[in-house]
Amino acid sequence: MPWYLYLAFKQLFPTGRRFPFFTAISVVSVMLGVALLVVVLGVMGGFGYQIREMITDTEGEIQIKARGLISDYRNVVKRVEAVPGVAGATPYAAGMLMVQYQNKPAFPQMRGLDMTSIARVVPLGRFVRLGSLDDLDDDAVILSGGLADALGARLGATVDIYTPLMLAKKDGGIILPRTARVVGILEIGHQQLDSSTLYCTLRLAQDLYGLDRDVHGINVRLQPGAREDEVATRLNAVLPPEVRAFSWRDSFADFLWVLQLEKNMMMFVLLFVVLVAAFLTMSLLLVLVLKKTREIGLLGALGASRRQIALCFCLQGVGVGVVGTGLGLALGFTVLHFRNELVRAITHLTGGQELLARFYQFSELPSHTETRDLVLIIVAALLLSTLAGIVPAVLAARLKPAEALRSE
Amino acid sequence: MNNAILSATGLVKTFLSGDRRLEVLRGVDLEITAGESISIRGESGSGKSTLLHLLAGLDAPDVGTLTWEAASDTTAARRAMFLGVVFQSFYLIPELDALQNVLMARRIVGSIGSPERTRARELLARVGLAERSHHLPAHLSGGERQRVAVARALMNQPRLVLADEPTGNLDEHTGNAVIDLLLGLCRETGTTLVLVTHNAAHAAKCTRQLLLRDGRLA
Repeated sequence: MPWYLYLAFKQLFPTGRRFPFFTAISVVSVMLGVALLVVVLGVMGGFGYQIREMITDTEGEIQIKARGLISDYRNVVKRVEAVPGVAGATPYAAGMLMVQYQNKPAFPQMRGLDMTSIARVVPLGRFVRLGSLDDLDDDAVILSGGLADALGARLGATVDIYTPLMLAKKDGGIILPRTARVVGILEIGHQQLDSSTLYCTLRLAQDLYGLDRDVHGINVRLQPGAREDEVATRLNAVLPPEVRAFSWRDSFADFLWVLQLEKNMMMFVLLFVVLVAAFLTMSLLLVLVLKKTREIGLLGALGASRRQIALCFCLQGVGVGVVGTGLGLALGFTVLHFRNELVRAITHLTGGQELLARFYQFSELPSHTETRDLVLIIVAALLLSTLAGIVPAVLAARLKPAEALRSE
Repeated sequence: MNNAILSATGLVKTFLSGDRRLEVLRGVDLEITAGESISIRGESGSGKSTLLHLLAGLDAPDVGTLTWEAASDTTAARRAMFLGVVFQSFYLIPELDALQNVLMARRIVGSIGSPERTRARELLARVGLAERSHHLPAHLSGGERQRVAVARALMNQPRLVLADEPTGNLDEHTGNAVIDLLLGLCRETGTTLVLVTHNAAHAAKCTRQLLLRDGRLA
């Protein structure tokens, strides 16, 4: 081991002595900065990942839409399912409804599902909390948990359904609603979907919206490992020009861009914490250089070159960066692991857990750390710590041995 | 002289103190023969330490030439093997124990192996610190620290040892012991010694005594 690496290590972590104040303060400051970055970017990434999961769980990885309605959807589904990388496709109809139960109205989003193909694309059965998806027929509906609560409707209740189409048809006459019994309560875990969605059969949705045999769109599930952009391109090659396939990224491009922007801004702002930690390390290393002026003179007298003396101090900055980053990663991932317990403890003290869930759309605080983010955090922390060591290193290297030995 | 290991000719060194020019050395000539021990005495501020720094190649003279074994190469790399230094303030590295402080002289010029560790332990034993080799400087007395510094100076088997008032921070008894040890070790190993001191008794133990006065050696 070169002497400058050995001495840098010994000065940071001396044998048989307590952790030096300089090392402790510098390491803790870098550790906190890195931990903060890991936690915030993990949670921000979690939001993005959760939204991706929610979109792909409920709508598949690819959505097929037309300018108007998709007619002859059976043929389109057949062509879609023949494309390599596609695991399954299911048509849907969607729109706004008014639902009434015992004079309590609600205005949920309707989702008409093709019961013969839905299981190949959307694992809705996984989210049914009460009742069964198998009981869904053309005279039944499944309500999201929030909608059922808002209406006060329980399993077996009969709800009245109104559509905008009915207003147009009746032309001043009495509007007769379509009635349906509630055969299930469903909770996906996303507050927006769980608060106000009604699931029914495709046939019922087509009736309610007067679609005849047409549908609004087709959701596509991909085989594991298939890339959505590549499959979307393949699909567009076989679909008629008026029908287009969009990957979930294309469909939510604006939203994902905003989410990424928020994450990048967070990273930019929080990097200043690491920058401050690097300045702290630099100032403490400068103090160390002043304190060790005579030792630097001695090293020169023993034959150390200026480059080696500079490396000795620069490596202390690197050492602080390596240890601080390592501990910061450990602390950050520990906090992420216990994030929900921490949020529960905080909201228990401050109240407002429901408000938190309603505002942020998720019942649990999500977390997902991307490798790219992790590499960026590690590189930034190590780079800044190394740069923090350079100024004191240059100062130490510029000291003339004779002057250093004479200094008081 | 054929066996001169150090030769200094016309060394001049001036310092600026505000507007004043302080001519500390005004043409020092010195030739040191292998194996001899030389003492340099002088009043405080006479330039003894400055001269030692010039001889060690730690500082450059304004005028004059310095050669080690007839070569003008006085770079850090050569210094590490050619000479050992002992200072008044010991300058041990506080984070390293006695053994590692001695080994540091070797680390700077190369790698450490079993022979180097054995030599460092032998040197510590020779200066009476075999039992204290794993003690940090903070846990050693002043005399013990200076003995570690002596062992460090001899670690690379240098041709020349320069000692700058090595007893300045020690009591008389301990100081005498350190000087005897230093002279004895240099004599045993055939190492040349230049001892800068205030102490006439210590100076008298050397084979040649010089006096630095008015910037010149006499």
